[in-house]
Amino acid sequence: MRRSGRRQDMDTPDSGGMTPLGRKTAETGINFTSTTRFSRGLTFIRTHTLFGQSPTRRIIPQTSLLQENADPQKIAFLLRKQWTLYSVTPMYKFSYGNLKEYSRLLSAFVAAEKQKGLAVEVGNDLGIKVTLSTLLGLKGTDQDQVAILVQIASRSQLPFENAENKVVWSGWFCCISGDDLLESVPEDFTCLSLFLANGAESYTAIVGSWFQKTFDCYFSRLTISPLNLAWMAAMWTGCKVDSHMAATELVFSVPCIPQSLDISYAIHPEDAKALWDTVQKTPGEVTQEEVNLFMDCLYSHFHRHFKIHLSATRLVKVSTSIASAHCDGNIKILHSKHLIGVLTLLTELAISQIQ
Amino acid sequence: MSASGRRRRGALDSGFTMDETVAEYIRRTVLKIPRHQIMEMLTMWEFLSKTQLETINVHQLKERISQEVVELCEENSASIKQAAILDMIYNYTYRNKKVWTVYQMTKAAGEETDSFNLADFKYKFKRSLRSALKNVTINFREYEDNAIWIRIAWGTQYTKPNQYKATYVVYHSQTPYVFISSLRSSIPLLCQALVHASNYHDIHEMELRSRCIDSLKDIVFKRYSQTFQTYHPRPLQERNVAPEKVDPRIIQENKREKERIQSVNQEVFGEGLQPKIEFAQYKLETMFKGEPEMDILTEKEPFRCVVKFSSPHLLEALKSLAPAGMADAPLSPLLTCIPQKARNYFKIKERKGILSASCLGP
Repeated sequence: MRRSGRRQDMDTPDSGGMTPLGRKTAETGINFTSTTRFSRGLTFIRTHTLFGQSPTRRIIPQTSLLQENADPQKIAFLLRKQWTLYSVTPMYKFSYGNLKEYSRLLSAFVAAEKQKGLAVEVGNDLGIKVTLSTLLGLKGTDQDQVAILVQIASRSQLPFENAENKVVWSGWFCCISGDDLLESVPEDFTCLSLFLANGAESYTAIVGSWFQKTFDCYFSRLTISPLNLAWMAAMWTGCKVDSHMAATELVFSVPCIPQSLDISYAIHPEDAKALWDTVQKTPGEVTQEEVNLFMDCLYSHFHRHFKIHLSATRLVKVSTSIASAHCDGNIKILHSKHLIGVLTLLTELAISQIQ
Repeated sequence: MSASGRRRRGALDSGFTMDETVAEYIRRTVLKIPRHQIMEMLTMWEFLSKTQLETINVHQLKERISQEVVELCEENSASIKQAAILDMIYNYTYRNKKVWTVYQMTKAAGEETDSFNLADFKYKFKRSLRSALKNVTINFREYEDNAIWIRIAWGTQYTKPNQYKATYVVYHSQTPYVFISSLRSSIPLLCQALVHASNYHDIHEMELRSRCIDSLKDIVFKRYSQTFQTYHPRPLQERNVAPEKVDPRIIQENKREKERIQSVNQEVFGEGLQPKIEFAQYKLETMFKGEPEMDILTEKEPFRCVVKFSSPHLLEALKSLAPAGMADAPLSPLLTCIPQKARNYFKIKERKGILSASCLGP
């Protein structure tokens, strides 16, 4: 299957991060030199969406335990951290067997980029080491590609400090239950549609441009619409949490007024769950109507007290016991039990963005 | 950066060596002051002479300026008292940076209000605090609007007062109100001293907290333009507005409604500028009630939630909601009563099916 799309000049910067659908992604300040955009050869068949709209129903992911081969320490590393989200188009000729080679090349690339503009001797080791490794156990179905973790460690420059490497930046690729959304993927392509980064944005830009150059893919910032945030609020409130429950908090930002106004609406977790359980009727499935009803209930309770129409404001952040998400495309996952469920939803959003 | 190991330069042979902690504290205080205000504050301080002030060059690195000031203070044998006063001057100028909580003092029934005696107040206050805690630094400073500023640095039985975590108290002697900021653990001691010194009977914390102390004063002293809540809408008042040259073909839809909203908003919020507060918090424990067609939550338990509003200028933001179409006019009394009730922390419980704010404590 031949690769389609034109190869752009490597030096021309991308035009502000336009996604294929023409929607502008959030301005990140990162200028990825893009190569091609993968447009044909991947047909997305989604049985319940039309023209890139949000689905009317989603399956409630069962609290799928991570597969047995998951490394608990590595998984724990992913939790309780703020990750910035990106969607990634499929990578061309990525090989799991070459991870060591990729680590070496990426280390050199990062070191070279970091030294740009510095008056440093050529070949002087800044002590930067990049490792690519697999993240086992992060799969929704067996067809999913194995997740990849990229870490940048920096050796301390001070002589008397412990010469251990300290992780300064992490990023990981995954694709959970993406296979039912991606069909007829050509052989040479690896679909790891979701990318999560934690650490300095300068490193994210460097790592991203290396991947884009090497595997002919394209990263774009994954923002979360208020509609999808509402879905998250509803679905995550409904999740059963064994340990300490945190409040379901919705943060709204009020536009179009001279003074900015933020409204935080935090509901006791038991009461929020009780409301959701009354609303959610279809077993095993969540529908758009149910999400709307849940939100409308919360809005009307609020309106009754304050006479303010929350539906006219903008939902920017959702926090629950499971995870918290911000519309700029930031996520924090709190429990390993629900990791797969959250990633499934995020993978779906990522794939929908690159469609 | 510790001051230890640094030689005192320029010390006269008076045999006085300024305490290192005092020197360091003065140095750090001067470093905080923005360059363009250094001379003004040092002049207000009235501790360095005019000739001394003239020797200071404010166009060098702030580190150098603060060093020079410390050296001059050494010449004048500065003690912690002077250092504290400089700190008070700084904090008075930047008083709207701290978060202030309002307290109200009450008299016992039948007690008369004595005329206020400043010297008496200071003496009693110091005595009350010192009897409980030996290691405290107490300083007073009076301002024109009858405001008495008190700075207290707290120590323990065995440690010297921590000058960097001082509490500030602003007391207007003609009123029962006290504004307190940066208070960590010594609330009972401080309250007791205040009550004793001002000849009141009791003191309690109001549910009112904000950064802009001037606005807090406006609220409790009722210095903002008050409104009288009426239930009869008054006709829109005529104002001298020059008629705009509008194309007569342009029709404003909902003109009546817009005018009604403006008029109601005005009634509810008043004409003038609103006092400046940054947040309001409501703890709701009312029953859940959605639209009648929503057959939801037949439980008899309250629907617990906490709502927080935050804005650089909350009341102005709330005032603009109805005209922007995001809220009904009139806005809920829960929000509009903030200046009137002098509180921005509320606990709302259901009462006989009618919604009302109960002034319960936290």
